[in-house]
Amino acid sequence: MEKNDDKDPDHNDKSIIEEKADVVSDAHPPDESDGNSKENVDVGNAETEHNPEDNVESQGEEIQQTLESLSEELDQLLSSLSLHKEEHKDDNTEEKEKGDQEDDDYFQIPQFVGKFLDLLEDKLSKYDSGEPKTVWYQDQEEVSSLLEAVDRVSNLMRLLLNTKSCLDHHEPLINHAGSIQQRAMAFLEDEFRILLEESVIKETTDDTGSQRKSTEDAVVSQDNDQVTAPEPGDQEIEYPGYSEDVVALLRKIAEKMKAGGYGWECREVYLVGRRNILMRTLKQDCEFEKVSIDEVQKMSWGELEREIPIWTKTFKNCSSLFFPGEVKLAEKIFPGDEGSLFCIVAHGLTIQFLGFAEAVAMTKRSTEKLFKILDIYETLRDSFPPMEELFPEELRSELRNEVTSVRSRLGESAINIFSDLENSIKSDSSKTPVPGGAVHPLTRYTMNYLKYSCEYKDTLEQVFKSHSKMEQEEEEVPANNSACSAFASQLMRIMDLLDGNMEAKSKLYKDIPLSCIFMMNNGRYIVQKIKGSAEIHEVMGDTWCRRRSSELRNYHKSNQRETWGNLLGFLGHEGLMHNGKIVKPNLKERFKSFNATFDEIHKTQTTWVINDEQLQSELRVSITAVMIPAYRAFMARFGQYLDPGRQTEKYVKYQPEDIEDLIDELFDGNTSSSSTATAKRRT
Amino acid sequence: MRPAQDNQGSFLGRISIRRNQFTDVNTEQEQEDLELFQKHIADRFTELLTPPPPPQPPSDETDTVASVAATEQIMSVTWLRKLMDVFLCCEAEFKAILLMGRDPTQISKPPFDRLVPEMLDRSIKALDICTAVVNGIDSVRHYQRLAEIAVAALEQRPLGDGNVRRAKRALANLLIALSIEDKENVSSGGGGNKTVERSWSFGRRGGGSSAASKGGATIGQLKSSSWAVGRNWSAAKQIHAMTANLTPPRGNEAAGLPLPMFIMSTVTVFVMWVLTAAVPCQERAGLANHLPVPKHLNWAQSLVGIHEKIGDEWKKKEKKGSAGLMEEMTRMEKLGHSLIEFADGFHYPAEKEAAESAAAQVAEMAEICRRMEEELVPLQQQIREVFHRIVRSRAEILEVLEQAGKLSAPVV
Repeated sequence: MEKNDDKDPDHNDKSIIEEKADVVSDAHPPDESDGNSKENVDVGNAETEHNPEDNVESQGEEIQQTLESLSEELDQLLSSLSLHKEEHKDDNTEEKEKGDQEDDDYFQIPQFVGKFLDLLEDKLSKYDSGEPKTVWYQDQEEVSSLLEAVDRVSNLMRLLLNTKSCLDHHEPLINHAGSIQQRAMAFLEDEFRILLEESVIKETTDDTGSQRKSTEDAVVSQDNDQVTAPEPGDQEIEYPGYSEDVVALLRKIAEKMKAGGYGWECREVYLVGRRNILMRTLKQDCEFEKVSIDEVQKMSWGELEREIPIWTKTFKNCSSLFFPGEVKLAEKIFPGDEGSLFCIVAHGLTIQFLGFAEAVAMTKRSTEKLFKILDIYETLRDSFPPMEELFPEELRSELRNEVTSVRSRLGESAINIFSDLENSIKSDSSKTPVPGGAVHPLTRYTMNYLKYSCEYKDTLEQVFKSHSKMEQEEEEVPANNSACSAFASQLMRIMDLLDGNMEAKSKLYKDIPLSCIFMMNNGRYIVQKIKGSAEIHEVMGDTWCRRRSSELRNYHKSNQRETWGNLLGFLGHEGLMHNGKIVKPNLKERFKSFNATFDEIHKTQTTWVINDEQLQSELRVSITAVMIPAYRAFMARFGQYLDPGRQTEKYVKYQPEDIEDLIDELFDGNTSSSSTATAKRRT
Repeated sequence: MRPAQDNQGSFLGRISIRRNQFTDVNTEQEQEDLELFQKHIADRFTELLTPPPPPQPPSDETDTVASVAATEQIMSVTWLRKLMDVFLCCEAEFKAILLMGRDPTQISKPPFDRLVPEMLDRSIKALDICTAVVNGIDSVRHYQRLAEIAVAALEQRPLGDGNVRRAKRALANLLIALSIEDKENVSSGGGGNKTVERSWSFGRRGGGSSAASKGGATIGQLKSSSWAVGRNWSAAKQIHAMTANLTPPRGNEAAGLPLPMFIMSTVTVFVMWVLTAAVPCQERAGLANHLPVPKHLNWAQSLVGIHEKIGDEWKKKEKKGSAGLMEEMTRMEKLGHSLIEFADGFHYPAEKEAAESAAAQVAEMAEICRRMEEELVPLQQQIREVFHRIVRSRAEILEVLEQAGKLSAPVV
């Protein structure tokens, strides 16, 4: 009796004792008296004299009787019972009709069956009371002992329930066995949950989490060493992070529960556990938290900009690591059932992911968002197909449709951002010229933007190809002619608009040479940007670059003509000689005009800006090349006619070297203008 | 983030301009369309209020036959599916009225520069509710699976202690899930959950008592994080926000396009409200009382009727803390309680009378599970469809606005 004390402290206590009485009586042929068997129970199964042939070895040494020692007998019984059942299978129908023949089908359930159940119940009670100091699943012997016992109970139950005579004659035994089976199953269910939740070897702690974040740095190998260190030799420790032993045990428990008809409980525990673990993992490993669509709309771009990389990282990891890990785990524990289990674990989350992407596509458009939108687009494009494969057939097309629609919305967003850019270039009508004819901020912005966007060249080409609405039909013709992509023609269009805008802006300069400088600066900036990046260069093509360069040369020439042509005019010979004699006043006038004009040019053009150093020196060199020889020649020819000394000093303000130096000061953007030509000369 | 509200100052100043514009817009054809639209709305909701087979008041004793007749009862899965169809129909018709054959500039002028962004903002909030409800249905499927376990156990013959305890364990899990989903999310899954769980489940490791024999609930709950929409998201707040600026159009506006916009917004809010009532949904405190629906308008009569019915039921349930008003769930809950009672009083061998009444309840539970099995996934798909429809319509409206050139990128 004392073994019952720690067993069922609840109100069912009494009934269970009564049942046990029934059971043990049931373990004997029905003609045995109830009185006897009750005695049996009361002495704690000490008396087993009723069926000596079944209990030979247990006599006198019942304390040694264990689940294990009874197992063999039970197995024999079970196999003989099932054999028995097999034999009677064929004439079962006949027998049913002959009522009195049923007794032939009846077989005695030996008493040790009851004993076996009692021992199992004892064991379960011990676990429930928390008596064993060891953790059940860590004790190999206990694990296999219990699992085998559960197996036997399940087999016993199956036989009892499927054998008509047993149903007729052994119902109390069935009840008792079923009751113990339920206890055992409930125990396994709890263990399964604990095992699932607590035996993750490396549930990424904050420590490793932060290390993992920095794996983009050079510490990859060290990091890997650390991660695998705790469990050397086990290759499958990645995600979900169970050792092979744990997985094997989970599978065994699942098998036993399923075999006993308790598979649904096991599945449910698994599903709830996995969903929670997966969410926890995403939070720890990727800092992922669900964000509502409404929240996304309300976030500042700064906030959203931080959310998006978290999303892409999470989505990529789910595709490459977490989701495959879930499928593999489900496959190992519930072979054949992994598809439906994985769906329940991951489907809602996948929908959530897509909702975020949709939400981003819905936000107010702005050019700065392009790159993050493309990041999402690329992530879906690259990481969804492998993810899709993990879902069972019937869900794939639904998910694929969702992804397709999200992608086209993102793609349309990207395309619209380009047309927004077009519009903003078109409508940029600022009337203040950039001082000194320097590169216009719009050119800088546009070119940097385009250069950066060309880092997504392939994606953008794909986006333009798949998501363009057919409204840009007029663009089709040149696109076909030059065999360039929709994206390339979009870029061309933006370039043309930018050119047009710059040309309009160049008109803001009253000085034609300055507007040339402005055009040269902007043109040069554009060409340099394009040459500086292989991607955008590839999109725009060599022809375009060559054309632009030659346009630049034209500005160069016309600048030279406008500015220096005039000055060169003073160095001509016409009008200086009359009848072979020098006309001195004219000569003096020439020098004066030359000096004044040159000073004026120097004064203004030192404030002009050429941002590109090479262009700056090219321009200076070419000016020098025109001016210096002409000035030298002029000096050589006419300098002698001025009286040395006072007169020369007055009219010959510059030596050729001075001119050269002064030309080298041009286009410096020097607005302080303190450096007049004169002041400069003396230094 | 809402420019619509920023505009309100200058809005009054523009009324006179607006009036002039309106007289042009109100063509006869449009009047006809509007009347037809209202009539269709009224008809559709009337059909929902009084479904073809007359509804029978559910009672504890409702047997299987009666429950079959009540299939289309308000808040049943089947009814919810019809509601989704109604929404999609209304939406399609509304969009046609709003966009078809209309000069894009019309809907970018006042008062639409306020009304349209407000409407689009509501649609964003509706999207989150759709997501929340889809997740909520995942929870319902979890309940369904628990109920199926109980059914399977109680259908066993001979019915023994083991079967009954097994059923009780599943039912206890089911009832905890049904009663705490909502509360748990109020406290964002903290201690509240644990206290409830502890009262059912006697920690095997911690205490010395036996859990297994008691049939304690131990399957564990889906933590809020696994089905929530966002960290601080609240269905109640969203519904409130959707109704905050929803007022019936007045004066000249009442005869024009603002009316169908108001109607469609009301329908949207109402449908979302019903969905949040039906299934577990993150944070919906106070929603039972709060849903201003226009009382005196013809088209809204039946909608008001449905609203009152659900609202009354909700108020009753709210105190107890219920996961959802879906008809099948409330019946599942009742059956769960009485089957747990049966289990508590069960002694082997089963009393014939008790066993028979339990068997009837088990059959009803099985029928509920069967219907859930058939209809929950399609309902989920319909809600996804509603989601996508809203997304698409929003995009189409924005596109038209962009064409109008006035609002190149409205902030919503």
